[in-house]
Amino acid sequence: MSLPKPVMRGLLAKRLRFHLPIAFSLAIVAAVAFKFGVTEPRKKAYADFYKNYDSVKEFNAMREAGIFESVRPSVK
Amino acid sequence: MFRAVVRLSTAGTRGLVRTRPSCSAPLASRCFSHGKVETDEEFDSRWVTYFSKPDIDAWELKKGMNTLIGYDLVPEPKILDSALRACRRLNDLASAIRILEAVRDKAGPHKDIYPYLIQELKPTLTELGISTPEELGIDKL
Repeated sequence: MSLPKPVMRGLLAKRLRFHLPIAFSLAIVAAVAFKFGVTEPRKKAYADFYKNYDSVKEFNAMREAGIFESVRPSVK
Repeated sequence: MFRAVVRLSTAGTRGLVRTRPSCSAPLASRCFSHGKVETDEEFDSRWVTYFSKPDIDAWELKKGMNTLIGYDLVPEPKILDSALRACRRLNDLASAIRILEAVRDKAGPHKDIYPYLIQELKPTLTELGISTPEELGIDKL
């Protein structure tokens, strides 16, 4: 029984034609997922934290806690 | 083929990847719209002629094989026949067997190509007294 002639040309081209679009789209999906799953929530968390942040109040709280060396807790 | 890969990867947008021109003339042809694209038969006969040079030297044999293996194709039996006869002229049995190993590797996951090639080359292998790697037991690691 003699074997029929198989396809011998363009095998890599055929493979890439199939796999490259998948690879590129998966990479893009990964990037988009990271952007919207990680970086955007992170940015929002920071924005929310600092939206109503009162730095003076926080400073005074830290001062009273006695963690600074340059200013002592207020004498009260 | 790297040309096509570079084109695809530097396309930038996926749209370009999807709608790239159907330049599916593979192997050694450069994908330009001017100039004649070499047919498969012309490619094959060019390589048969290359290896048929009566006074081919060892360097040309190696160079030819390395170039041929670089293409996106498994060489046709007639090209391999010509290359094996060149090995015979150069008294180079090692290269002859290496050529068989190389085309087996070149076929990659397509396991039907190598048996077909051996089938087609059997008369030549018998005539020239070339053993296949399988017969020598050097095909397994």
